[in-house]
Amino acid sequence: MLLFIIVLITDLIFGKRSTKLCRTIACAGLVLVMFKDLQQVALILDGSHFIFSNMLLLSRSNIFFKLIIDLLSFMLLLYFTWDNKLNGHQKGLSDLYSIAMASIFGLHLMVMAVNLLAIYLAIEMVSIASYLMVAYRTENAFSTEAGLKYVLFGAASSAIMLYGISLLYGFSGSLDVIFQRNIIELSKVNPVSSSFAVILVLIGIGFKLSFVPAHFWVPDVYQGASTPVTAYLSTVPKIAAFALLINFLPPFILSGKWTGFDIGIALSIVGIITMIAGNFAAVMQTNVKRMLAYSSIGHTGFALMAVVVLTLQGVSALTYYLLVYALANIAALMLATYFANEADAEDVDSYKGLGLKYPIASVCFVIVLISLTGLPVTAGFTGKLFVFSAVYSVYQQTHSIWLMLLMVTGALTTVVSLFYYIKIPLNLFLKRKEISEIDSNKSYNVLILSIIISFLLILLGIFPDLVLRYL
Amino acid sequence: MNILTLLIFIPVLFGFIIMLLPSSLRSSFKYITLLATLLQLGMSIWIYLHFKTGVAYGGINHEDQFQFVQKLPWISLNLGSMGKMQIDYFVGIDGISITLLVMTSLVLVIAALSSWEIKSNLKGFFLLFLLLDMAVMGVFCSLDFFLFYLFYELMLLPLYFLIGMWGGARREYAAIKFFLYTLFGSVFMLLVMVGLYLSVTDPATGNHTFNMVQMMNPANYSAQSIFSIAGHQTILGMPARTVGFVVLFIAFAIKVPVVPLHTWLPDAHVEAPTPVSIILAGILLKIGGYGIIRICLGIFPEVATTGAFWLGLLGVISILYGAFNALAQRDLKRMIAYSSVSHMGFVLLGIASQTAEGISGAVMQMVSHGFLSTMLFFLVGVLYNRVHDRGIYHFRGLGNLMPKYTAFVMIAFFASLGLPGFSAFVAEAFTLAGAFKSPTVNDLLPYWMAVCGAVGLLLGAAYFLWTLQRMFFGAESLKGGAVWKTALTDLNLREKLTLAPLALIAIALGIMPSLVFDKINDSVLSLIQFLQLK
Repeated sequence: MLLFIIVLITDLIFGKRSTKLCRTIACAGLVLVMFKDLQQVALILDGSHFIFSNMLLLSRSNIFFKLIIDLLSFMLLLYFTWDNKLNGHQKGLSDLYSIAMASIFGLHLMVMAVNLLAIYLAIEMVSIASYLMVAYRTENAFSTEAGLKYVLFGAASSAIMLYGISLLYGFSGSLDVIFQRNIIELSKVNPVSSSFAVILVLIGIGFKLSFVPAHFWVPDVYQGASTPVTAYLSTVPKIAAFALLINFLPPFILSGKWTGFDIGIALSIVGIITMIAGNFAAVMQTNVKRMLAYSSIGHTGFALMAVVVLTLQGVSALTYYLLVYALANIAALMLATYFANEADAEDVDSYKGLGLKYPIASVCFVIVLISLTGLPVTAGFTGKLFVFSAVYSVYQQTHSIWLMLLMVTGALTTVVSLFYYIKIPLNLFLKRKEISEIDSNKSYNVLILSIIISFLLILLGIFPDLVLRYL
Repeated sequence: MNILTLLIFIPVLFGFIIMLLPSSLRSSFKYITLLATLLQLGMSIWIYLHFKTGVAYGGINHEDQFQFVQKLPWISLNLGSMGKMQIDYFVGIDGISITLLVMTSLVLVIAALSSWEIKSNLKGFFLLFLLLDMAVMGVFCSLDFFLFYLFYELMLLPLYFLIGMWGGARREYAAIKFFLYTLFGSVFMLLVMVGLYLSVTDPATGNHTFNMVQMMNPANYSAQSIFSIAGHQTILGMPARTVGFVVLFIAFAIKVPVVPLHTWLPDAHVEAPTPVSIILAGILLKIGGYGIIRICLGIFPEVATTGAFWLGLLGVISILYGAFNALAQRDLKRMIAYSSVSHMGFVLLGIASQTAEGISGAVMQMVSHGFLSTMLFFLVGVLYNRVHDRGIYHFRGLGNLMPKYTAFVMIAFFASLGLPGFSAFVAEAFTLAGAFKSPTVNDLLPYWMAVCGAVGLLLGAAYFLWTLQRMFFGAESLKGGAVWKTALTDLNLREKLTLAPLALIAIALGIMPSLVFDKINDSVLSLIQFLQLK
């Protein structure tokens, strides 16, 4: 069942000769993987399966997460060579493709992992791959610093997580997280110590999700890494980490046997703080990539809202929201690449007046940002709506004040997020500046893909059931 | 094909044509846009003529009494245990919407005509214009809350760019202020909308629904739901239905705008180019009033009744505050912007009175103000185009220099200040009659509110007449001297053609208010009946 991934990796070992070949093989491999994913749907018709001696779980939502990850990775792999700076790298990009493939393999594991050991292995696999990717192009001190920072933070957080895992193992005597009996075992331990262990594990996952207080690495790394890598980091590992979270959490929240602290409330608080911190910090940024980095922290907070409720509806809302967010985020970073390639513009200020010079790209940028803000008629709006209604329906039954606060914060931060997202259209269209003729080296590929994504975002905004029907 | 659907989406069709045409044909864009709006006007007049009246066509909370209805299933998701999510494409009109619809399409024609002044980046301008056109038409027609919200939000972005790209010196500030203000109102509206959706089930299908008409029937609320009338749920310690009403009211009050949420309006109006000012004042403000009638009163009637005093108070404050501010302005456009605040206060006062006279007066005031503010802003635009200045004190004795212009200004001013024989007089008289009647009929508003409203009328007369005296009478004296004198030519044919129908309508509605009242009466009565039943 997992053979397809092995096939993929062997593919890559042969494919180191040239970037072009590598890219073709990698993309073809991903298409194959997607196909296999679809075949797996047939397997779960009669319910979820455990595979690899209960290490991995194959369920409906997992398969969707995998499909989304593959689809996004496919776009990202295409996108790697389109960034002038990354493409200009002397080593060539073939290694990057191998690393990306390894990381995608890790992501697949992460989505399916239900055993603490498997979780740790998967996260490490993804992490190590991402360290390499971030540091792949280190041309100046800033990006070197970013790479190093990422490695240090990452190493520390996985150490913390490993400690938590070992504690959990010690308390419950088993590495499986999804079974009731472990929770019963855990409830016999002093609640403080078992809570401590769970917190440690959550910090490890939180590092990948970049929620507050594990978010410090994000802005520097996103800004320092080359744009396609940023697009990669800010989307797929995040989705995988969310998938992991919804595998990991149910026993603690739903079984009722858990005696430690209330994870639901803790996550609500984290969600609220993350939304506020991410969005307000983004207001002050001038570098486009850095701004998008902070805004992605805000989006994590919003998505946590759907994790807190953990209903069926919540999970499908979460899947949809993440898909839409990731699409929009990739498109936004692609357009950032486009403007960097064309006009050498990286700061919001240097976007001044470019809107009239590059009308198509700019209009796409506006659509993408509107979707990120969550205004109709874009997919971002429907995503937000579904998350809100999932949370609301739980609120109606429980009347938990935290859920209300989450929703109010979600609404408020939407307004805040408009304030910084709109800076880009503001500079593109509203500010005027004499532009000297720039020797344009048209990057049509980026443009075409972002037009496709913008179109998709509007289409999903008008007809969300095209996707949601399956989730 | 349903005529309302056609009416809503015709602009999109023409927008596509403009989008596909090359820029070399840019001089044709304005004619294409004008054609689109004229077609819409024709259709809305056809709708108006074929609009049936009678007790059986009251609308409001009876789905079968709406006319020109089209209902198509749109988004239908199976949510497992939660049942199905039902969002319909549901458009239809009743008496409240029909007159506003006709008003809107005429105002859009005028706005298209005044777009002649736009010189740069025509393609973008007319595309955004048509997008905005679609959104405002959609808002007045939609009966599904989701659809309503979609159109409601869709207005923001085109307006942001229209103000921001073609506006005056402080356009960026004005555009972002407008955008943030309205978005602030509408995101919380989104929360209430989702809450309502989860509280209401469609009796026919058993699904949760966004259907606004179903939301008006208390029987459709499930007992444990958050907005159930019987449930008496609370949100953060306050009664849930009150919270819902207040949130929706704030969202619409920002649009109206009601003091103290009005501060975006003078900035946006002053910075916006003339066609956008016309759309803002003529149509956008009405969407606020329309939303309060259709949604706040329709869905939360009992809260609207208990809170009527506060609504009335806000209305009176808007009337007086707007009028005093208008008196103090030195910029003509700002003066008119504040007069809008004052006039829209009457709408709120009329709604708060919850009498047949008051609500008819409020709708009439919206229609009449739609035409009059369009005329006023167009007139300001005429002056500004010639000399790029709007300071009231920079002009004197324009009466001799531009006699035809002055004649139209006098008509617009006298109509706006409520001279008998003009539409605003009828509207304001009815509103005040409603407010005076309220203490004896339903005891919602005290007498002094009606008195204050009447004082507002007096102040209105003061600032309009004073402006007339300052700018148009007396010896000729211009800030720009001889240069201005040559620039200030009298009205040309296009401008006369634009202004004449507006002036005629202002008089026609003043002499024959039945043109509006006949159409709205059944809906107003059924709304009153609905409010009394609760």
